[in-house]
Amino acid sequence: MEKYKYFIATCIMILFSIATSYAQDKEAKIALTFEKADSLFVCKALVTSEGKPVIEVPVNLSVKRLFSNLAIGDAVSTDSTGVASFEVPQDIPSHNGKLTIFAKIVDDENYKNTETSAEVNWGTIVVSDNANVGERSIAAGRSGAPIYFIISSLLVIGLFWGILIYAVLQVVKIKRLGSLDKI
Amino acid sequence: MSKEKNIAESTKYETFTQEEYMVMKDDLLRPIEKTGKWGKIWIAFLTVIFLAGVIAYYLQESLGKSVTTGLSDYTMWGVYISNFLFLVALSLSSVFMSAVLKLTHFEWYRPLSRIADVISLSSITMAGICIMISMGRPDRLYFLIIHGRIQSPIVWDIIVVATYFAACVLVLFIALIPSLSTCKNHLTNLPKWQLKMYEILSFGWKGTAEQWKILKKTVNILTVLVIPLGIALRTVSAWLFSTTLRPEWDSTNFGAYFVSGSALLTVAVMIIAVYAFRKIYDLKKYLTNMHFDKMGQAMVLFGFVYAYFNINEYLVPAYKMSSLHANHLLNLFVGEDALFYWLVVLFGIAVPCILPMFKKLRKPFTLTLIAVAVLIAGWFKFYLIVIPGLSHPLLPIQDVPPSWAHYTPSTIEMTIVAATIAGIMLLVTVFSKYFPIISVWEVAEGKLEGKEEIINYK
Repeated sequence: MEKYKYFIATCIMILFSIATSYAQDKEAKIALTFEKADSLFVCKALVTSEGKPVIEVPVNLSVKRLFSNLAIGDAVSTDSTGVASFEVPQDIPSHNGKLTIFAKIVDDENYKNTETSAEVNWGTIVVSDNANVGERSIAAGRSGAPIYFIISSLLVIGLFWGILIYAVLQVVKIKRLGSLDKI
Repeated sequence: MSKEKNIAESTKYETFTQEEYMVMKDDLLRPIEKTGKWGKIWIAFLTVIFLAGVIAYYLQESLGKSVTTGLSDYTMWGVYISNFLFLVALSLSSVFMSAVLKLTHFEWYRPLSRIADVISLSSITMAGICIMISMGRPDRLYFLIIHGRIQSPIVWDIIVVATYFAACVLVLFIALIPSLSTCKNHLTNLPKWQLKMYEILSFGWKGTAEQWKILKKTVNILTVLVIPLGIALRTVSAWLFSTTLRPEWDSTNFGAYFVSGSALLTVAVMIIAVYAFRKIYDLKKYLTNMHFDKMGQAMVLFGFVYAYFNINEYLVPAYKMSSLHANHLLNLFVGEDALFYWLVVLFGIAVPCILPMFKKLRKPFTLTLIAVAVLIAGWFKFYLIVIPGLSHPLLPIQDVPPSWAHYTPSTIEMTIVAATIAGIMLLVTVFSKYFPIISVWEVAEGKLEGKEEIINYK
């Protein structure tokens, strides 16, 4: 019996995998609707399968960002009417005010992974204040150095090089005095 | 009329006896007159190492730094920059072992000042070369000047290195003018071109009272100038690190920490140089045991100042041990670099603080041995500041190749580093073969015990 236990374990795992895959074979559809309730933005995800609402299925909501999606809260399970309700934050930045909202069912026991998306005009338009881009600053380019910085740098450089040039002129003076002494 | 007046003034100031002066001139100018067999071998040896560095640089630039060096995305500076810091530290010899002593009237500076000035000029020359080698293609220097931002510490570095180099040239050669006149008048068995060189570089020096007055005033002004300039040079080098995003470099202590380290290293390099010149050129009469005694005391003083800044730099962050610093500090104290780090602390900080306290150890030979240990530890100290610092970036990138976390300098890099060190020794040696390594007039002036008088000699 001992020598067969690995074989039996493998068979059970295969059977479990087959059963699971059949169980996940059901397809679900998600429909997104957007409502404003009082002062809240609410997104409702209606999950149906073969025309009937699906209950107790966790739905993940996310919003598209530049590189990947940003999750909006935790997963919410559908209620008895097949609806999962989410409160959408009102301060999600967007270029044009539009947000692409994604709803997903992932790794459910009964339903295959599915995803849907819809656009809604709930984004907060970001207005970049570029008024200071042309200003002179430490972080600016070569031509944008602050005036006080340029003046103080030139003063220090000028002071040191001025003294060095003065020293060279003194050597010239020593040479001139030597020439006079010859005469 | 003018000539008569000058002669009268010159005569009036002649207080140093001719016999004494002749002996001194003979002693101090002797090394210029002949170069022995070992001297030639030494110069040839240094030249070979320097040329090997030139070939290594050619290979580096023709094959590319990615192939010929151990540099990577993390360790993008490597041994070139740590060596640059070491060379800049040595270049402050003129500040700590000449200008400061002179302005504070420590009379024993006199035979040391020119040695310090030559080491400074040689070191800053090689430091400038080293930073260009580190940048890669030499044309980048041109682009840095054309396109560089005045707000950038790299541009400040280029400006301050160039200014300090010019100041070192002037400090050395203006103070050399009377000595060159002495060489021209006293050394007759030299090739014609050498005598012509002395004549040109002595700028018609006649030793008139007016010339002395101008020379002394100019030398004094330059002596004052090199102190802030040298400290600015060292501090800007430190700011290059402080303004780079690495937790262990993000320190307001860095400028003073670097300056204090330089002070210690300049004493160490001076002890070695003075010992070598005293021994090789037989200058025991001028570079006496007293000088070693004083330099030993200076080593203890600067050693403690350096130890103080090291405590600020390492022990204070270690006491707090924030997550930003923990990785780097634990690596130094108990990790991969621990043995290396504690050896540097022992020889670079503890030894110079303690050993020269004993009078017996301030004798020439023993003090020179200590200085050699301090200098070698000083070189590795900069290596420990640069390399482990770069290996622990503030924002680690995920999935980096393991090779990035470790840096080993390549043969090409080490050849170039050796060439810069050999370059300094070569410049100092060649200088001492063509110019008096001890300032004749400054030593003679010292014989007058600081009287405000001008010595007349030709």
